[in-house]
Amino acid sequence: MPAPIYLDHSATTPVRPEVFAAMEPFYGPKFGNPSSIHRWGREARAALDEARERLAATLGANSDEIAFTSGGTEADNLAVLGSWRLLREQGKRAVVTTPIEHKAILAAAHQAAHEGAEERLLAVDGNGVVVDASFDALVRDDVAICSVMWVNNEIGTVQRIAELAKLAKARGVLFHTDAVQAFGHIGVSARTSPFDFLSLSGHKIGAPKGIGAIYIRRGTPVEPLQFGGSQNRGVRPGTENVAAAVALARAAELAVEELETEMPRLRALRDRLQHELLSRIPDAVVHASGAERAPHILNISVPGTDSESMLMALDLSGVACSSGSACQSGSVDPSHVLEAIGVPRDLAIAAVRMSLGSLTTDACIDRVAQLFPALISKARRLAGVAS
Amino acid sequence: MTGERVLVAMSGGVDSSVAAALLVDQGYDVIGATMKLFCYGDDVPDRPCCSLDSIDDARRVCEGLGVPHYVLNMEDAFGRDVVANFVDEYARGRTPIPCVRCNSFTKFRDLLHKADALDAQWIATGHYARAVDGALLRGLDPAKDQSYFLWGIDRAVVSRMLLPVGALSKAETRARARALGLSVVAEKPESQDICFVPNGDHSTVLAKHLPVGDAALSRGAFVLSDGRPVGEHQGYARFTIGQRRGLPGGYAEPMFVVAIRPADRAVVIGPREELLGRGIIAREMNWLVEQAPEVGAQVSVQIRHHASPAAAEIVRVEGEEIELALDEPVSAITPGQSMVLYDGERVLGGGVIEAGRREGTARARLPIFAE
Repeated sequence: MPAPIYLDHSATTPVRPEVFAAMEPFYGPKFGNPSSIHRWGREARAALDEARERLAATLGANSDEIAFTSGGTEADNLAVLGSWRLLREQGKRAVVTTPIEHKAILAAAHQAAHEGAEERLLAVDGNGVVVDASFDALVRDDVAICSVMWVNNEIGTVQRIAELAKLAKARGVLFHTDAVQAFGHIGVSARTSPFDFLSLSGHKIGAPKGIGAIYIRRGTPVEPLQFGGSQNRGVRPGTENVAAAVALARAAELAVEELETEMPRLRALRDRLQHELLSRIPDAVVHASGAERAPHILNISVPGTDSESMLMALDLSGVACSSGSACQSGSVDPSHVLEAIGVPRDLAIAAVRMSLGSLTTDACIDRVAQLFPALISKARRLAGVAS
Repeated sequence: MTGERVLVAMSGGVDSSVAAALLVDQGYDVIGATMKLFCYGDDVPDRPCCSLDSIDDARRVCEGLGVPHYVLNMEDAFGRDVVANFVDEYARGRTPIPCVRCNSFTKFRDLLHKADALDAQWIATGHYARAVDGALLRGLDPAKDQSYFLWGIDRAVVSRMLLPVGALSKAETRARARALGLSVVAEKPESQDICFVPNGDHSTVLAKHLPVGDAALSRGAFVLSDGRPVGEHQGYARFTIGQRRGLPGGYAEPMFVVAIRPADRAVVIGPREELLGRGIIAREMNWLVEQAPEVGAQVSVQIRHHASPAAAEIVRVEGEEIELALDEPVSAITPGQSMVLYDGERVLGGGVIEAGRREGTARARLPIFAE
């Protein structure tokens, strides 16, 4: 079998060698606790502060606006629940989000609802774009927090975050964006978008799993999820993962430095793949193709097939893709995102998400453009036999 | 066989794990698959499923064997073909065997379609039975033989089945598991429960699927076979033919459930001799031999898992319905259970018991255990 092809960068990415090199000393001689007063502690603290500063710079933020977390999920939870729990005291009664968020946001909003919040879901159109009228109707001054993901992880839809954040703020509503898939794929800046909170995840951009960050705009109130020392200014207590924080900062810098070259490269590859697949499978449906999409995601359904069988057949042929929504058991369930944008069930259960990244080359695209249609026609032949 | 692809249905238990390992040793191109058949967890809408340890075990075994493993979501079809029938049958006062339908429809039909899609010529499970030259045979270990549950599969499928542990005893299987380094599963306790019925408590599952207040789980009368009411029960679906537990006491001899009558919610109880039957009527008859035996043929029939086979004669065949006359009476012929016909070790076919007859050879149609 030829070398396997990894088309699942939205699930996770390999740690970049430069990132690995940057973090390595903190597993060796630089093992100190950044809260200690001695030389080891000072060394670690300096590295941590520098990492915070450098990560902040990539976001157009100040370093005191960054707290390191265990990942995107924790950052999402902190933004939603941290705001809700604080602002309910001031009479706010609702949380607003979209039906196409990552489960980290949806489950956090459910938890808020469990604690008494009214959970409001914004309408999205057939491409997953938030409907203006719905935003206008639901984001009222009784809302504690409104959370809209910048780039959808399954279909790639890009929201107009700067605009939405501005509208929310005008109504006195805190605004959060999950930028886990946006950062490193489109321009993300706290200077040009007035969001109050933003979530980041390390392993989507070449840093290890288990590190993420939350941006909290100066002066924004938030209640911590856990209690302890004064690390991260008490917002996220617990001895910091210095090595991973350094890694995240390095990966973020690299992602931003390369944005101008990598974004068009991935877009060209993705568009070519899409074009070749559609020309070979004319009735295939590309989801969110009518919206502005992040350059690295292609989500495609072919009528008469199912994701589960396609993902297995692809894997056995050496190509790693995803259906977007994997359940904990590892089985494939219909995606809540596709359901929310009105994709019929028979198409939703056929969705295959291909996500491109650093490992993707022209040769990968060539091979998948040949292989995928071949597997599709076989699956359809068998489906015809079975039914 | 070298390089031929086989899809192995893996539950995460010792039998299917050893089956997979043996097939790897024999040079097959093995793909492990665990079917997700029902929701294991609570019903939180945004967390529709959860990790079950057994799926993780199967994945680890495959990772150790160096073969791919997939989880297949077959909840919808399993719910329709197996769970719904299970509920319906109990509601009709019968005692179903969901494992039979799971084998017939889920494993050896739906999973076989997945095997086709993956270019797997073979399908394997950890059943204690043997498939030899298109014939389905009992497993070699009589204590573990599971051929009774396999009568419903399509005959053509038998020649695509690999049942590697069917030639082993359970002790040998465990020994193989240890020898193969399958420490994850080697010492797992035997599971006796139906997979979707936790703790063997089927009435909880019925309560979840039946409308509130359904007759099957509502109060009714215990009656004697002469019609005399002798007590009250909390739902006929809690009983099966031959059951002793939970019956009214105070009789000189042990009493058993001898019939269940959904029409008036009655559970009929009686002494041991009222359980005896000399004839069996079965439906959904499926043959696993090329030439089905005809009326007058002598067969050996098994009416429940672990029951000894009994000698019988085929007295009537009408499409998928069949009637047998038993040479000697057998106890507790239970509607809903399977009736499997054997010729020595070989499974000839089987069906679902519709009724037992007290008089086996009588032509008068007087089923005594069902409406």
